[in-house]
Amino acid sequence: MSSRVSTLVRNVWPPALFGVLFVALWEFVVKFFDLKPYFLAPPSKIWQKFTENFDLVWGAATVSGTNALIGLLAGALFGMAMSLVLSRFRVLNDLITPLAIALNAIPIFVLVAVLNNMFAITSEVPRRIMVTLVVYFIVLVNVAKGLTQVSPTHVELMRSYAASDTQILKKVRIPNAVPYLFTALKIAAPASVITAFVSEYFGGSQNGLGSRIASNIANSKNAVAWAYVLGACLLGLVFYVISSVLEGVSTPGGRAKRSQEGR
Amino acid sequence: MSAIEIDNISKIFNAGSGNQVVALTDIDLSIASGEFVSLIGPSGCGKSTLLRLIANLLEPTDGNIVVNGKSPKQARLDQDYGMAFQQSGLFEWRTVAKNIELPLELKGWDKAKRHERAMEMLELVKLADFAGHYPWQLSGGMQQRVAIARALAVHPSLLLMDEPFGALDEMTREHMQSELLNICRASGTTVVFVTHSIPEAVYLSNRVVVMSPRPGRVTEIVNVSIEGERSDATRDNDAFFRGITAVREALRGVEMSDHVRGIEDR
Repeated sequence: MSSRVSTLVRNVWPPALFGVLFVALWEFVVKFFDLKPYFLAPPSKIWQKFTENFDLVWGAATVSGTNALIGLLAGALFGMAMSLVLSRFRVLNDLITPLAIALNAIPIFVLVAVLNNMFAITSEVPRRIMVTLVVYFIVLVNVAKGLTQVSPTHVELMRSYAASDTQILKKVRIPNAVPYLFTALKIAAPASVITAFVSEYFGGSQNGLGSRIASNIANSKNAVAWAYVLGACLLGLVFYVISSVLEGVSTPGGRAKRSQEGR
Repeated sequence: MSAIEIDNISKIFNAGSGNQVVALTDIDLSIASGEFVSLIGPSGCGKSTLLRLIANLLEPTDGNIVVNGKSPKQARLDQDYGMAFQQSGLFEWRTVAKNIELPLELKGWDKAKRHERAMEMLELVKLADFAGHYPWQLSGGMQQRVAIARALAVHPSLLLMDEPFGALDEMTREHMQSELLNICRASGTTVVFVTHSIPEAVYLSNRVVVMSPRPGRVTEIVNVSIEGERSDATRDNDAFFRGITAVREALRGVEMSDHVRGIEDR
């Protein structure tokens, strides 16, 4: 246990020190070269604006965070359901999987401009649909892989036990896909936050972190914009940490591995 | 009573197409109940295919197989046999005990009875202390013992093994061979055992079926007449060496018609 803590400390302090030094250098450069606030704000000013406007930043983070979370959950749910369907019907799998992989490689969040046209101007629905779509394809591609790429020996064994397709799905394919799902969520969690921000740049209500950053920059309130950027970073971090923790507690092998390392 | 009757079996893969492969032709073999029979031959002689035909994981193109007096499909549905492969094929998300319980789960056994049988099987392969471990915490030899325990969990009358010790080092392998013989002697299980190793085949078997490739067929059946119970001392026995020589000569007959690959002669 104590060795675990010391490992953690050893792994954490070099990047932490680097971060502190970087912020100090930033502060120094701004002061030393007397950079104008509309060009680059110093960290001290950004922090001051962040604390002054904390309620506003918090409110905007709640809006963007809710959009990201709803999209993440809906996308993961639809992605899992669809991958189960695909694993059952080979023909569909051959049709849809290459398409999903191709869609994963292009920035489909630009579709939000089209979606905005379909709903009321103040609606959050297009943004949520956009996040759902992005997450959906990430989860679909990964989970479908986990469901189909099972060890041939496992399948032969199950057939020798006279197992039905449904039993093979429950006892082999789904457990095999669990690590793939969490890999997908680890990729999808930050992507959902990014998509939620970027969706706000394409119009709609000016209530989220993304739109506040854009509007403050437009009003030359550079330091305030940076305060919202800081809020965006923190929100992204929260999503990432949650998905990492979930991964740790949900895989039995991983849990056992960690407890053994702790001994 | 014979455990397995194989009558004029042939197996052709991709029949009728350009890349048609004749895997087996005209195989006749009768295996008695309680007998230990090895299938040996170079790569491509169809010994694994023959094992999968008995297991009903493949269907023969022609001919008939009877397992325990029924069709191979019925024998599979009744879980009349247990199977073990070169890869232990343990499920890494299940503990050792839960791996052994899997075939019983599929048979619909209740939890307490399943666990009791799993512990009984772990006693048999001397791994009772590892019931709660995950497969990756075990050595290769221990994993293979768990796989054998799992194959025996339903107390099948027949055990089908496809190079189960192929990935183990020589010391572990000899130890596992002796343990397998002890287990089969105690339970009276019939075994069909696919291997690449001549000493392994001779040490374990009552009969060694020598096969040749292109097309896969049985060239000779060597009777191994070693008196009494087999133990590590058997490996220094004259009858053991005579058996090895007989199998090697039978394989050499194969070699004259075709180059022998993949036979371990140690």
